[in-house]
Amino acid sequence: MWRHAFSVLVGGVALLISHSVAAAVDLPPTIKVEPGKAEPVCQSNMPEWRDAQVIEGVQIQESRRCNPDNPTTVAALVKGTNNISMGALMDTYLAADAVIKKNDTDGDGDPDLIIIKLEVAELNGHSPDFQGVVPTFDIAPGIQPGMWVFAPKSRGMATKSFVGLEANPLLRAPSPVIRVEQGDTIWIQLENTHYFPHTIHLHGVDHPFVDSSGEGNDGVPQTSEQLVMPGEMRTYEIKPRQPGTFAYHCHVQTHVHLAMGLVGMFVVEENRPDNWVQTFNVGAGQVRHPSKAVLEKYDSEYDLHYHAIDKELHDIIQKFNDPRIIAKKMNREYDMTDSTEDYYTLNGRSFPYTIRESLIVAEPDKNIKARVFNSSVELLSLHTHGHKATITHYDGIEHNPMAQITRDVYNLSPARRNDLRISTVDDGLHNYGEGIWIFHDHREKGITTDGMNPGGNVSAIVYKSFLNEEGIPKLQGVNVAPYFTKEFFARQLPVWQGADAWNSLGEVDARGYDQPAAFPVDTSIAAKKANRKIPEASGGDNTLRNFFVGLLLGVFAYLLVVNREKVIAMAKSLTSSKKGGQSDA
Amino acid sequence: MRSLLLTTLLFIVAGAASAKQFQEHNALMDHGGGHLMDLGGGMVMGQNVDRIPDGCDGIAATKEITVHAGHKYAKKFPGRIYAFDVQEYQFEPCTKLTVHFINDDHVRHQWMMHGLPKYLYPKGMFHLEVTGPGKISGTLILPPGEKTYLVHCDLAQHMEKGMKGQLKTGKGSGDLPSIPGVTPFVIQDDYSKLGPPAGIKTAEAAAVASKAADKQEQPLISGVLVIGLAVGLLLTPFLMRKFKGMSAGEIAAYVLDVTKQLIGYLVRMLSWLYSRVSSLIGRKGSA
Repeated sequence: MWRHAFSVLVGGVALLISHSVAAAVDLPPTIKVEPGKAEPVCQSNMPEWRDAQVIEGVQIQESRRCNPDNPTTVAALVKGTNNISMGALMDTYLAADAVIKKNDTDGDGDPDLIIIKLEVAELNGHSPDFQGVVPTFDIAPGIQPGMWVFAPKSRGMATKSFVGLEANPLLRAPSPVIRVEQGDTIWIQLENTHYFPHTIHLHGVDHPFVDSSGEGNDGVPQTSEQLVMPGEMRTYEIKPRQPGTFAYHCHVQTHVHLAMGLVGMFVVEENRPDNWVQTFNVGAGQVRHPSKAVLEKYDSEYDLHYHAIDKELHDIIQKFNDPRIIAKKMNREYDMTDSTEDYYTLNGRSFPYTIRESLIVAEPDKNIKARVFNSSVELLSLHTHGHKATITHYDGIEHNPMAQITRDVYNLSPARRNDLRISTVDDGLHNYGEGIWIFHDHREKGITTDGMNPGGNVSAIVYKSFLNEEGIPKLQGVNVAPYFTKEFFARQLPVWQGADAWNSLGEVDARGYDQPAAFPVDTSIAAKKANRKIPEASGGDNTLRNFFVGLLLGVFAYLLVVNREKVIAMAKSLTSSKKGGQSDA
Repeated sequence: MRSLLLTTLLFIVAGAASAKQFQEHNALMDHGGGHLMDLGGGMVMGQNVDRIPDGCDGIAATKEITVHAGHKYAKKFPGRIYAFDVQEYQFEPCTKLTVHFINDDHVRHQWMMHGLPKYLYPKGMFHLEVTGPGKISGTLILPPGEKTYLVHCDLAQHMEKGMKGQLKTGKGSGDLPSIPGVTPFVIQDDYSKLGPPAGIKTAEAAAVASKAADKQEQPLISGVLVIGLAVGLLLTPFLMRKFKGMSAGEIAAYVLDVTKQLIGYLVRMLSWLYSRVSSLIGRKGSA
């Protein structure tokens, strides 16, 4: 009995001790971070825009994305703002003279003089009146880099409405895709509404070096023309003989102006009768009115414009208002050779917004044409899941059909265009069947937003059977709501929070955590080892050197003692000669 | 051949189009609700020629103003790119005002007035818009009461970069910020670390400096002057003694000699220091 009581006592004390020890050695607990308010995955309120329809006589393909292009805008851009009803024009943000189409000079049923007006808009720019940027264009939740874009000429305010600061839908990244027909006479009129000089260079597009009046037509200030200063307008005249996927960009301080966003795709469609092409594809992405030639070979067409943004450059226009300071910071202080890219966009946005706008919607046994353009300063290594596409054209020129390459990574150096044929035939080569197949840059930083993953230029080829009625993929993986919060990209949320029942990889709550002393180990052995190691490591050559130094010192001392009289005499004569010298002076 | 001819013709038209002539936008289509528009991009919104605002006993006065807009009007405001020719307007409440808006640039500009009563003006706004060079006119009747209204161009960054003004009825209700030449910015740029870089020549700065030199009186006693005085006082008696009886040539030779000696000392000291430091570093490096 005594014995038993004793053992209980001992056991109890031991338990107490072990408990207190356990409390002292525990690591801090896991805490759940409030994820913040998530936006709806799709917040479009224009579901009827997704349907196939005919507006003003223009066939508009269906667009089963969350944010489809406004079909009335598409119709206006196909027919020209001069050829549609005032009612239709009022349903868009376009100026009455944004796109003028006239003069069917060859009598083939489509207009042959196309006058395109481009303005220059600053997005997420500085305001001297309040903290915040205007007009806003979010590339991802809470991410608003300052940008410049060419924009179709709009009317009215720069903002979408009278309340709020969101940019009107024509003012957005990327600069719009311009589409023209081979052989048409095109006047591109740059109305420089910006506060810096700009020009337009038509990269790869057939254009004469000078226009009909002898003025420069190449957009290069150093070789062909003066700067187009703020408030000025210049007309570029072309009559392109060759079709293809090309580009256009500002050629003033090109290294920064191109990076700021003054770059877009320029597509010359093959000439066909009655071929009304969609002059602008605002925001790139699906072409809702593909050209005749494209529809001969393909069922649908997508423009994919990849870009990248260095925060340090894009911050400049948000930090300062005085254009002279902005010019100095950008032209003389910002050193692009030291730059690193932070944001990666597809058609002006990063994941998760890409899945609202830049999905490729697929059906089995179809051919999809994708025109891919890389305007970043580094190689793009685009990879398609579930598909191996065929590169039909490089930089707008068709590759020998016998030699065309089918692959799953498409390398695009800066300024390169690849035309891809994405076949949805489920043969294990071109396609592995229906699904939600993402496509993305395979330089892994390209799938981040300033280092936060998932972000960057990720989008997806989604089969209709995997798409919900809002145009959002029927995702079956992890909860995507956190990606629709600003907190995620502000690095406040643990990426794997709530991944299992007890949040094993959640945030550490180290507030008030009293770190216990480290477990004692016998340090004497380690110290001995360390002591022994030091001479072992570096003693070999030291001893030898020490010996020689000692030897030399010994010889010197000996000589000094032996010749002490001479030395003293020399010292005396030296001091006296110095004194003598001084007294002489 | 025919197509070539046509192309040439088209390019001639193009040339004509690029040298755009001044355009009067006075054949506007009325879309109702005070909204008028033409195909050249001219636009009036919130036009009101006859509806008397509540609180007005009829029209107090009838006025017409001509407002210019363009890059060149920003010349007098450094750090601005766009501006109106006039930044402030003042009228009696209930004035019937016709604004002739002339855009001297070759891009779009707006003369947009905010804060008007919404029952009379859609979105509380009166708005003139025209692509230059061109002119557009619109009329409104100002509300009663003393108030300051914002007038600006809403193209991206045009207001921020200078195209901003204010219209006061009566004495107005205070001033708005960031109006060129009238009020400062709310959020100001930091000019403290801005150049021009030291040691460079700037034409304008030099001109300004010479002007300043002409105008400003130099202070009589400066710090450097005092130092110079002290050195002179101490050195003169010594030199007087030294150069007593020497010819000018001898003095020159002496000065040269001293300089040479000084340089010699300096060089020796530097080389000693260098060898000392390098031997130290060498020792550290080998250790």
